Amino acid sequence: MSRYRTRVERDLAQWQSAGWVSEAGVTAIRADLAARRSAVGAAGIFAILGAVLFGFAVISFVAANWNAMGKLARLLLLLAALWGCYGGAAYLFARRLDVFAHAAVLGGIAVFGAGIALIAQMYHMDAHPPDGVLVWVLGALLAAVLVRSNAALGAAFVLLAVWTYWERGLGSGPHWAFLALWAVAACVATWLRWRPGLHLAALSLVLWVVPLGFLVLDRHAHWLVAAIGAATALAAVGLRVPAIERRIQASQAMFAYGVAVAFAGVFTMQFIDGVTHYGAYASESTMRLAWLSALTLVLLVAAMYWALATDNRGALWIGYTAFTVEIFSLYWRMLGTLLNTSLFFLVAALIVSALAWAAYRLHQRQAPAREAAV
Amino acid sequence: MIATLKILLSLAVVALAQTAVLAYMVIDRVQLLKTGREITLPIIPVDPRDLFRGEYVRLGYDISRIPMTLLDGPLAKPHETLYVVLEKKDGGAWQPVRATRALPSDGNPDRIVLKGRAVGSGSGVRYGIESYFVPQGLGPKLEAMARDRKLAALVAVDKGGKAAIKGLIIDGQLQYEEPLF
Repeated sequence: MSRYRTRVERDLAQWQSAGWVSEAGVTAIRADLAARRSAVGAAGIFAILGAVLFGFAVISFVAANWNAMGKLARLLLLLAALWGCYGGAAYLFARRLDVFAHAAVLGGIAVFGAGIALIAQMYHMDAHPPDGVLVWVLGALLAAVLVRSNAALGAAFVLLAVWTYWERGLGSGPHWAFLALWAVAACVATWLRWRPGLHLAALSLVLWVVPLGFLVLDRHAHWLVAAIGAATALAAVGLRVPAIERRIQASQAMFAYGVAVAFAGVFTMQFIDGVTHYGAYASESTMRLAWLSALTLVLLVAAMYWALATDNRGALWIGYTAFTVEIFSLYWRMLGTLLNTSLFFLVAALIVSALAWAAYRLHQRQAPAREAAV
Repeated sequence: MIATLKILLSLAVVALAQTAVLAYMVIDRVQLLKTGREITLPIIPVDPRDLFRGEYVRLGYDISRIPMTLLDGPLAKPHETLYVVLEKKDGGAWQPVRATRALPSDGNPDRIVLKGRAVGSGSGVRYGIESYFVPQGLGPKLEAMARDRKLAALVAVDKGGKAAIKGLIIDGQLQYEEPLF
């Protein structure tokens, strides 16, 4: 049962006992919910899992460097597997077993990738391995567009992340080409109206943006990452006007991702890049850390306040997590240097108490409004 | 019915397109191996005893490091595409004489251009012929032959400078030639 249905069931019981909803109303609502059952049940999940496992089987078959067959036999076997997957998908679509059909498409994409790797291996190709992943991404995107396959689009986003990660490892500057292909994939996700796909788009973009500070300007430009995140979060706040349901949903997600990116930026500035500073610079970096951490905590509290006010659970959890991570990292860095342990906990306790008070006040302010509405 | 036909068509297009990509990879390679100019490059074994023990080996060449003075202009950035001009010296050895950022046109039959990528910002260059997947069962045999003997790779090079390993040469004898298919 979906989370939404569980919640409605619970509320229904309460509303019915309060006499707000009639017996007939409850039955009608339950029937409506049952009719709206999600297409992706256990069968779909297992089918997709099966396809992924099938893909791994094919890929490790290739990795095992199977040489008992001649080259031509291997190529033919590979093409047979490819056409078998897409043929199977066609058969399953015709039988209206769409979930299994999409799993078969996913299998076909896996075989396509294995084929690229296998041919590179057979002919000792060693030019620039990420190019192979790029071709794989294009193949997955093509399947996503033509077959309108969410599973294929999901694979494309995962492969996009692999591609840019590999290119980043080999290159020296930012991997700009990623943005072009990412934009195409994000358009496909919008066109397919597949919400998890949009989240995958956001996640892959986050994975690209966060390390950007190490790659541009003086290679310590993490403030830029923080600024991009903050600007995203602010833009998300602006998106709520006018307050249409779709805009609000987009704003909620954008705000959460923006907060995550902004925090990643300031966190890298404080604790990851250039941690080992000695001598005269060390005291300067301590002052810098004090300012930055104060700013981070204030901004996180503001973000959590906004998340509470807008009922944005995702952003709230990111805020909580970031707050905890920040506090523990500070504790670890400051131990025995700037603050002693008790003072540190005192400060942390004050901040958290202030947060609790703010949340309480917000609740107080909302409660009368709700009563007035009733 | 129309919807089923449409999806059938879409799947066929996807399968055809992906088949075409794989076929192009093979045909492009076979073309290079068949029609490319052949040169022999001595292999520098990293560890001769272990050379063919693994499933795939990394090969080093004399030309994997080139003097930085050969490149006109600024130092190469990591992974920048470079064209290395090799010249045939007395005794048949190929030596790098020039490196450029654009494909040089050189009609000299004693010269050949190899396309590569800079490794790091030093003088290392990779030509795409540094990995060799050892055919199964051939490893121990090749290894026994390669011990204390001179190893070389037979390399095919096309007009654009793209290189592919065509076979292995041990003590001047072609010991293993890649089947095209």
